[in-house]
Amino acid sequence: MKDFYTEEYMPKVNKIGKFTGYVGVLVAFIPAVVLAVVFGILPKPAALLTAFISGASAFGVLWFVEPISYFPVVGSAGTYMAFLSGNISNMRIPCASMAQVAADVKPGTQEGSVIATLGMAVSIIINVSVLTVGAILGTSVLSMLPESVKGALNYLLPALFGALLVQFGMKMKKHSIFMVIIAIILYILIGMGVFNWLPGASNWLGTLGCVFISIAIGLATLKNTKVSA
Amino acid sequence: MDAMKIANSIPMWIACGIPVIFVIIQAVLFARGAFRAGKKMGLKDTQMKRAMKSSVVTSIGPSIVVLSGMLSLLVSVGGPIGWMRLSMIGSVMFESIAAGLGTSAIGVTLGTDTLTPEAFGMAVWTMILCSIGWVLFATFSANKMDKIEHKLSKGNAGMLTTIASCAVICVFSAMCASHLAKPVYSVFQKADQMTMSSAEKNALACFLGAIIMAVLTVVANKKEIGWLKEWSLTITILASMILTVII
Repeated sequence: MKDFYTEEYMPKVNKIGKFTGYVGVLVAFIPAVVLAVVFGILPKPAALLTAFISGASAFGVLWFVEPISYFPVVGSAGTYMAFLSGNISNMRIPCASMAQVAADVKPGTQEGSVIATLGMAVSIIINVSVLTVGAILGTSVLSMLPESVKGALNYLLPALFGALLVQFGMKMKKHSIFMVIIAIILYILIGMGVFNWLPGASNWLGTLGCVFISIAIGLATLKNTKVSA
Repeated sequence: MDAMKIANSIPMWIACGIPVIFVIIQAVLFARGAFRAGKKMGLKDTQMKRAMKSSVVTSIGPSIVVLSGMLSLLVSVGGPIGWMRLSMIGSVMFESIAAGLGTSAIGVTLGTDTLTPEAFGMAVWTMILCSIGWVLFATFSANKMDKIEHKLSKGNAGMLTTIASCAVICVFSAMCASHLAKPVYSVFQKADQMTMSSAEKNALACFLGAIIMAVLTVVANKKEIGWLKEWSLTITILASMILTVII
């Protein structure tokens, strides 16, 4: 079984991933090209450069930090998919993890990675379908919703994250409680501007810091348990 | 020509439809590969179907949140671009900031000033240019990170599971912490009433989500209630949202 996964499945994943990733980047430019060819709208390079530089200084660190931070969670196939489709922390990771729970497989195993890939692919299809219906119906959809429902939607993501933390944290209780405390302290420090000397730290430092602290502690305790056993 | 007319024209719908379809094609390719691999690796059909069903249920809520975010983009940059940007490499916060940076480089404030065709072009180009960095780096590095991870763990399966489990917990801890910490540092920043109350409400929703989930999980496990395990996430989210609004 191991041979099939490493020698057949993974090379195929990489082949599909590299091809769709790089072609995807080109495809993303189609609207801009149509704008230029059909409507003759082409921004002045100098103005565009200004906008790109301010965008890059705001998000540039994230381009590298996010794929690295999320890799241990989503794996290779997940990385190819999650970054082309976006909405990673609010949808891809919850779906991948819940799919693993439903199929009763462990994260980090070969079975786990196959199931996570299935879960993510399904979530992309649902996500795009909902957006497509929404885009076609347009603003009329949201104006139909009463104010109270719109207000409640703001609380969906915090509630989802709280619930998921418990769902997965229960398997490693001590570790999770410790991590939440560290994460809260880290976020308070970031919010108070302690790390303002790092460019755009408020966007990426929280997740990146937590991933590495969490993995480091996890591995350290794993070694301890092994030694004691 | 009116910029909004261009933004919502048929050619723009077609131009934005191609990237959206491309994202779906990629997802289908990976899903097909994973399904076949799963079969060969001895995963049962029912197991994989359960996984997909659970993913459908989990995606619906967040999809609606993204949709409500998209509607603000529909107003500022038109339907097709808003639709494409959130289906591909998208996140609501990033897109509106990038679009705003693009238009402000030529002196147009997005959402306040009338959108000129030139400003629309700037918004589109800036959103695209600023987003491809993620895809380029992720596509380039995925297989390399895989190798690094295997080297670090020396093929030790237990270690790989530990890394993945810790990373999952940490991602959710970080997301919760970002909501839970806000009321605390908002006090130090002397934020206004509006910001404070929304920060408190978000923290409350996160807290309630955790508590309700904990109770449901314990009950479902003790009494061996299968359907409760499957629906606990949905019940928790709905209950916390409603409670947060009421309190």
